[in-house]
Amino acid sequence: MNPVKVILTIIPFIWTIGALPFVNQVKPIVFGLPFLAFWLCCTIPISYICLSILYRMDVGKDDE
Amino acid sequence: MSNETMALAIIFAFVIGTTIVGMIPGMNKKMSLEEWAVGGRSFGRWLNWFILAGEIYTAFAFLGGSGWAYARGGPTFYILGYGALAYVVGYYVLPSIAPIGRKHGLMTQPDLVEHMYDSRWLGVLTAVIGVAFLIPYLQLQLTGLGLIIETCSYGVIGRVPAMLIAFTMVAAFVYLSGLKGVASTAVIKDVTMIVAVVFFGLWLPYHFFGGVGNMFEAIDAAKPGFLSLPGGTKNLDVSWAMSTLVLTSLGFYMWPHFSANSFSAKSPNVLRHNAIYLPLYQICLIFPMLIGFCALMVLTPALKVPDMAFMTIVQQVFPGWALGLVGGAGALACMIPAADLILSTSMLFTRNVYGRTIGVGTPPETQRNIARVVVLVLTAVALALAILTPNMLVNLLLTGYAGVTQFFPMIVLGLYWKRATKVGAYCGVIVGEFLVFFLMLNKMDPLGIMGLNLNAGFVALVCNFVVFTVVSMATSTPATIEQKTKAIS
Repeated sequence: MNPVKVILTIIPFIWTIGALPFVNQVKPIVFGLPFLAFWLCCTIPISYICLSILYRMDVGKDDE
Repeated sequence: MSNETMALAIIFAFVIGTTIVGMIPGMNKKMSLEEWAVGGRSFGRWLNWFILAGEIYTAFAFLGGSGWAYARGGPTFYILGYGALAYVVGYYVLPSIAPIGRKHGLMTQPDLVEHMYDSRWLGVLTAVIGVAFLIPYLQLQLTGLGLIIETCSYGVIGRVPAMLIAFTMVAAFVYLSGLKGVASTAVIKDVTMIVAVVFFGLWLPYHFFGGVGNMFEAIDAAKPGFLSLPGGTKNLDVSWAMSTLVLTSLGFYMWPHFSANSFSAKSPNVLRHNAIYLPLYQICLIFPMLIGFCALMVLTPALKVPDMAFMTIVQQVFPGWALGLVGGAGALACMIPAADLILSTSMLFTRNVYGRTIGVGTPPETQRNIARVVVLVLTAVALALAILTPNMLVNLLLTGYAGVTQFFPMIVLGLYWKRATKVGAYCGVIVGEFLVFFLMLNKMDPLGIMGLNLNAGFVALVCNFVVFTVVSMATSTPATIEQKTKAIS
């Protein structure tokens, strides 16, 4: 397996699951959300970015 | 128009309009089994997107997301995380499944298991377990629908007539159009739901608190700690959230109806491409939570049923048209996932239970006719269960997610690991399902071990994984490896 791909795959898991013990707090409130909710919301763009790069690597620019 | 008439008119317009859209694909032509069950494997990006994305916004996201926020606070936020992770898993798993399905004519999850392990009875077992977890899930959608329409029509239409009317319509379009009907109606459902949750999710906090941030400040001042883990609960703490996120992100694509959805894709790249964008859709799950949090601070007296938070606050604050919009969107949120569930359950039963035991050798045309009749029978059974014994299946339902996740080692490791064997798969699944039932029915979820509170399904999954691996290693022979290599290539 390509190590870059492995890293891109595990980043969302480390962000969401691995970091959980360190982000379980209400303050500061970021973008109107309690910190825990804000952190978990960030999983969404992070997964999107990691998957987009993976897709570029796997499929190339001429998808479909 | 009075509030009641207005709300009712809007709900009816949604339900009937959607049914008509769902019936169109099946009215123009006769469908073969493959067309009916997996859309002729012709779905491009958009249809595939809506059918995969549509599965997230069910009765649970609508009522449960706000209900959890209202009653439990912080633990609700795990819902924001699991979907995005599930799509990372799906990015790898679905494109591996789809080409095998195309090459060997597979249509259901048990088809895939039977094919990978060359074992008819393992396929039958997978189908029986799948049906056992799908029927309570279907019943949940029905019960949710009854509740939504009853509340949103101000009690004019009772729970039972609402369920009867809506599900006759669901059965009609699934019977006629199969998966194509589900896909085209999923589009309407998703648009309506997003409009409803975004509007109410932003409007209510602004109306009462002047903003989302102000609302959370107010909650934190009134109930310190409610917005972090374990929030309003005793044992849904950090270790629970971590183990639950592992379980739900792995288990997401183990629901049997997702296999059919991935077999419907035109090419593996459609699935890869959609895996990228599906996480973005998850952001909408936060809006029902905002409504639930707002209800917590605004509604007095406290609600007996937290799942009613969304509808109760809309009913108190808005006129009839708004409740009609919520009712219409909510009804679709129950009907469309139910349609997909009915279709998948009928295929599991017809193809993998009947077709592989007493009905071996039934031709596809006959299978399609039987599956269509089973659609009607299943709808009737689910209706009867929902009306007569609304609580009987609650136990099965609680175990649903944990239960289907036990397929993960068998299916996903089976896709990549050539030494996986049939005996290993049997042992792993049986140990996993036994533990799920044992722990959950004995109220040991979450399970306290060494100061941690672990999701019971996660504990079962770990044991299942160990048993599957060890038994597979012990029973693999050059012959099983050769069969496996051929099956997954």
